[in-house]
Amino acid sequence: MANIRQLDKRRKSVKNIRKITRTMELISTGRFKKAMDRASAATDYTKRITAIVQDLAKSGTEVSHPLLVQHDKIDSIDMLVLTANRGLCGGYNGSVVRAAIARRAEIKQQIESGEISVSGKRGISAMRYAGIPIEKSYTEFDDKPSFSAVARIADDLIERYITGKVDRVDVAYTRFVSSSKQVAIVETLLPFSSLELPTASTPTASTPGSVEASSDGASGNKEDYEFLPSASAILEEVVPASFRARLFKCFLDAAVSEQIARMVAMKSATENAGDIIKSLSRRYNRARQSKITQEIMEIIGGVEALG
Amino acid sequence: MSTNDKVHCVVVTPEKTELDTTCDMLVLPLFDGELAIQPGRAPMVGRLGFGMMRVRDGSTVTEWFVDGGFVQVTRQGVNVLTDRLLKAEQIDRKEAEEDLNRAMLIKASSPESLALKERSVTQAQAKIRLAK
Repeated sequence: MANIRQLDKRRKSVKNIRKITRTMELISTGRFKKAMDRASAATDYTKRITAIVQDLAKSGTEVSHPLLVQHDKIDSIDMLVLTANRGLCGGYNGSVVRAAIARRAEIKQQIESGEISVSGKRGISAMRYAGIPIEKSYTEFDDKPSFSAVARIADDLIERYITGKVDRVDVAYTRFVSSSKQVAIVETLLPFSSLELPTASTPTASTPGSVEASSDGASGNKEDYEFLPSASAILEEVVPASFRARLFKCFLDAAVSEQIARMVAMKSATENAGDIIKSLSRRYNRARQSKITQEIMEIIGGVEALG
Repeated sequence: MSTNDKVHCVVVTPEKTELDTTCDMLVLPLFDGELAIQPGRAPMVGRLGFGMMRVRDGSTVTEWFVDGGFVQVTRQGVNVLTDRLLKAEQIDRKEAEEDLNRAMLIKASSPESLALKERSVTQAQAKIRLAK
């Protein structure tokens, strides 16, 4: 008898869990769409900045900036790890932390110094558990990372790099490839290399993105620009600006990927709950049926004994 | 379109496209002073400073705080790339003052750090000046 009641109780609780996971799935679907919109809205800036860089390069400016220079001797490597504040998102946090720890072990073989900064409560506790000292931790980045907060981190890194306190900066995050593929990777952000510049001698060696920018942008119809104050002074500003945009993109990617990971995890949790309910119901019905049969048998037995 | 009698002006921040409008005249804070752009301005790329951007359309003037960046004037229009575009009332004076204090404490021992310090100081000062 107790078994039946237990089964029923379990079935009820699984039903409740299914309700919760389904709601979480819906919430993260909504958040994913918003995060996705934000991420695509941010590409406009990158596109335009690439167009300016293209125009600068066309004017024959020598491209040099302290952020682009690789330091001769690498003594210190900083790492920034981007994780989520919340769990229940499958392997999302785990894979980023794993990638970060693996890279750290690699670095530690050669170099001792370097700060590790972590964003997201999950990453912070995972790093603490792994016994890795954390220099700075951020928990303010959720599904809507704000540029000003990211810019602060970026400026901090720029300052440390330019003043020579750090010689390389890595960032571990989940890159958004497509809505069905996100990969946890560790990328080197500084020295800054993702500023794609077609050199004066090889103007064809431009990225697909920049080709697009120049064909739909204004630079397609060769304009003679006036540079204020000068092309090189503008470049000095363009490099940090695109670095900030690059770091911001990492945060946006991480936010989008987190929502997708949670969506997928909650979807499978809901499905799994459905399966459990099905098997519990079957067991419950079977137990109930056998109980009824047994009772009938008992009654019949009693009648026969009387008769 | 700057070829017509209006200036097509687009302001983008790393977060989103903040402003996409046409106006009669656009006044921007450049690194060394103000620059007004009227229809038919020759193409240019300029470095922005920190300060007030004014968009004049007819008799209405809208004012924004521009947080550095660049302006690119093409035959098609004006692209303004800035870190942040704020209304004057959105500026947090207290935060700006804190920024200024922090910027003042930067040790300027090399040309790079000196440039960094100057930049941070002017940025904070411009903000404080415009904050309401």
